Amino acid sequence: MSQWHPQPDQLVEFAAGTCHTGMSVAISVHLHYCTQCRTALSELESTSAVLFEQQSAVPVTDSAFEQLMQRIQREPEVEPVVEPVNNRFPKALSTLLPASLDDLDWRQPMKNLRVSHLMTDESGMIIGLHHMKAGARVPNHYHRGEEISVVLEGGFSDQLGSYGAGDFILRTPDDTHSPQTDAHEDCLMLSVVAAPVKLTGALGWLLNPFLKA
Amino acid sequence: MSAANVISILSSKKARTMTQTSQTADDWADLLEAVARRQDTKAFEALFKHFGPLIKAFALSSGLHSQGDHLPEELVQDVMLAIWRKSASYDRRKAAPSTWIFTIARNQRIDMLRRLNKYRADVSADAIWDLESDTELFGEIRQSRIQDKVKSGLYDLPVDQRQVMAKVFLEDKSHQEVADEMKLPLGTVKSRVRLAMKKMKLSLEALDL
Repeated sequence: MSQWHPQPDQLVEFAAGTCHTGMSVAISVHLHYCTQCRTALSELESTSAVLFEQQSAVPVTDSAFEQLMQRIQREPEVEPVVEPVNNRFPKALSTLLPASLDDLDWRQPMKNLRVSHLMTDESGMIIGLHHMKAGARVPNHYHRGEEISVVLEGGFSDQLGSYGAGDFILRTPDDTHSPQTDAHEDCLMLSVVAAPVKLTGALGWLLNPFLKA
Repeated sequence: MSAANVISILSSKKARTMTQTSQTADDWADLLEAVARRQDTKAFEALFKHFGPLIKAFALSSGLHSQGDHLPEELVQDVMLAIWRKSASYDRRKAAPSTWIFTIARNQRIDMLRRLNKYRADVSADAIWDLESDTELFGEIRQSRIQDKVKSGLYDLPVDQRQVMAKVFLEDKSHQEVADEMKLPLGTVKSRVRLAMKKMKLSLEALDL
């Protein structure tokens, strides 16, 4: 059971489907590890459903049902569901991954840290993986925007706590920290960060280790 | 469709009686299972008649029509088609019928909005909300108890909390967007939702450590 969770209002937005994709993927991965948050989500979805059922119904066009049945006749086959080739992680993340993590485009901004950029979402949040070697320490740094990390394998600690698989860690621009990986195991993390606003120029795209050149 | 409409429904005694005398969650679950087992079109039509107009209301309150007049009807079609196709995966021990249908409507809305914004989604809404729930936790009885608790809890909420709940949960708006629209501080919107959840004695507050 993980110890660090999304904020209640973040879970509310997840349930309502109003948060950006990066946040949704991070919360979805956390939920895979956290029964407590899955219970809360189930209640939030029930709440949404009650509000949904209590709306004033708006009539649909008369032919709507007929049209639908014609469409079902026309397209009887369900499109095959594309299953992710990687089954090591929760589905929301696995769909973004190749069969082996070695096939990802890794960059190495520091000796003990590798990062890979998976996608940029509609709000400009960058979804990526961080891989830190066992016993590695990342120098003290602060974040330009929000940074969400969800531990996938291994663990690390910083000034604010220690974290293991499934933990959902939110860092705001005011936080500075210097994460240290557990001594005996590499740490793999999902990370969701705001694109660095101050580095959006041509040079910035080259400098930021997360962005594909 | 505004939050005000939702609220007038919520607070009307008549509506309360209507929901009690109309079909129960069990009936809808039976119909979904009939669709799954024998592709029962009569059962499907009954589901369509009830949920189609609710999905359309949901599309309108989400502002879909502002991006195209045909979109609310299109969402109804997409959601009902998904219900037809996924009915075999409906499990009444895991979710009340309206909860299951709400989650499909939410996911279809997300995918539709992405298509409209020409945003190439590498990850579909169904992949994100693909959560294998533990049946021992979310049993059928627990599901209907939660819904009952929410229903009675909503009637007892003050108007300002109910209004915020309807906006945050249905109108495709973040807390920040609701705050901007209602000219309220963000913290007020968040605390109204939390207070409401607390009054309904839902466990979300347990997370607020």
